[in-house]
Amino acid sequence: MQNKLTTLQEAVSRYTRDGMLYASGAALPVGSDSVVFGKEMVRQGRKNLHYLAHCCSQQVNLFCATGTCDKIEGGFSGLEVYGFASGVRRACESGAVLWEDYSNLSMPLRFLGAALGWPFVPTTVNIGTDIQHRSAFNPEEYPCKSKIPQIVDPFTGKIYGALPVAKPELAVIHVTMADVEGNAIILGTEWSRFELARAADKVILQTDFLVDTDCMRQYPNLVRIPDLLVEAVIPWQLGAWPQCSVGVYDSDQEHMFAMNKMLSTPEGTEEFLQKYVHSWHTHEEYLALIGKEKIDSIMNNATTHLMDPYRKWIKSDTEIKVLMKESKFA
Amino acid sequence: MEYTRQEMMAIATGREIRDGDLCVFGVGLSMLAGFFALAYHAPNAKSMTEGGIYGATPVGGLPWGIEDNRISANATCFTNAIDALGFLVASGKCDLGIIGAAQVDRFGNVNTTGFWPGPDRAAYRAPKTRLNGSGGANDIASGCKRVVIMMAHEQKRFSEQIDYLTTPGFLTGGNARAKYNFVGGGPVAIVTTLGILRPDPLTKEFMLDSYYPFSSIEEIKANTGWDLKISPTVSITPEPTEGELKALRAVDATGMLKRK
Repeated sequence: MQNKLTTLQEAVSRYTRDGMLYASGAALPVGSDSVVFGKEMVRQGRKNLHYLAHCCSQQVNLFCATGTCDKIEGGFSGLEVYGFASGVRRACESGAVLWEDYSNLSMPLRFLGAALGWPFVPTTVNIGTDIQHRSAFNPEEYPCKSKIPQIVDPFTGKIYGALPVAKPELAVIHVTMADVEGNAIILGTEWSRFELARAADKVILQTDFLVDTDCMRQYPNLVRIPDLLVEAVIPWQLGAWPQCSVGVYDSDQEHMFAMNKMLSTPEGTEEFLQKYVHSWHTHEEYLALIGKEKIDSIMNNATTHLMDPYRKWIKSDTEIKVLMKESKFA
Repeated sequence: MEYTRQEMMAIATGREIRDGDLCVFGVGLSMLAGFFALAYHAPNAKSMTEGGIYGATPVGGLPWGIEDNRISANATCFTNAIDALGFLVASGKCDLGIIGAAQVDRFGNVNTTGFWPGPDRAAYRAPKTRLNGSGGANDIASGCKRVVIMMAHEQKRFSEQIDYLTTPGFLTGGNARAKYNFVGGGPVAIVTTLGILRPDPLTKEFMLDSYYPFSSIEEIKANTGWDLKISPTVSITPEPTEGELKALRAVDATGMLKRK
């Protein structure tokens, strides 16, 4: 057994670098994304990331607002009912970020193709539209023939498209619970985290709960990310905040709007960085920043019954501290 | 009973759902239209979100996203995007999808990606206004048997030439979809805050099929950016019934559609 627990700071410094092909694992824009990992990347000053983002999230929004990434390939660039992502808009409209558009099916198909070692993925979607014909990465080529090239079905002669596979160097994936080895259970939609975990060269988990491996032995069918894919595990409750983690906490409505508003200007972004990125270091300080009242309110939601089967295996903060000392990274 | 334009639009959209349909609803107001139908006249319809959330009804009002706690609280199954948009939509199994639009053209092609005003639409350049991109709309419109586009009826949105073709309607019209072998049948209606447009069976150009008790053909033509044809059988859409409004408002617990 290998204990892969690590801290946010250590994981970012060990596994990320400027200019890398990065992906985060999320449940659509409002759901659980590895938001706190992204904040630590910003704090450590990562630049020029090429981000494979199935969907937007506040992590994507923050990276755009702070100049942390300059290329994105993604299927959706908004924050659903929370509105347009203001950091993304600002960066795309100024040209600071090039957003290469795909769709919510073509992105996971591209991860699936990489996971299977396929050269490309045949597609019945995105074809015949500007998603196929226009490319932010090859702006002069119109209609673009190199982004989703037309292919002929060798069996029927019919015309379809070929999607390029998407193989990130690193995927940082938010999960609901994981053990010290990196076996993980996700509550709510897994979105594209199954195939993303298999497409990436390296996988890091950010988890709301650290649980005993006995939990995985009780529900092995639910472990959709097994330890053998995982490099490191970061226990960090409320790591998807202000987004939601089904079964644990709701999205923080007030902060979702406030954050998006701050990211709409350079001054507001600077304020956000001072207040919410540079102002804390430990998990205790992070929780204090969100505030007890807010935490109680978002944790009191209609999905908490989903966690009931697993509660007896949850490790306490004290147990986590002990386990951290036994990690291979310690 | 009094009702808003948005409520009329949502009810008219919901009426497109037939009992027994397998449906996929986009984020936002289209989800309210869909769940209204399930609660009122289509109890045997099945809904899913493109996130792979099945058997759920929203709890506590309009979900903030199609994966959030309000739509996850009473789900019977959670899977993933490839399952929902791939195995169930791209396969052709899904009967009906509801999508929104920032811009639509006469053939039901939709732009939700951005605005690039000016004549030079060809090459990609930084957008004047970046919108949301496709999300699952492109996939839904490629694969679902029937698609309903639900949107506010404004002249700038009903455009002779959309700035970016995000989601395929009938492309250049006629049988243009056949070239790409799309699994799905394309849009069957554009349901707006003023009326309902449906495609001509041959040319696939959208025509005014019906208008609401509070709107008129003139108002709709004035708010459409192309020379809108009027169906020879144009009629007045039946008003929402009391039962329909009650069912809709129960779903719309946070009153998103009551805004004028």
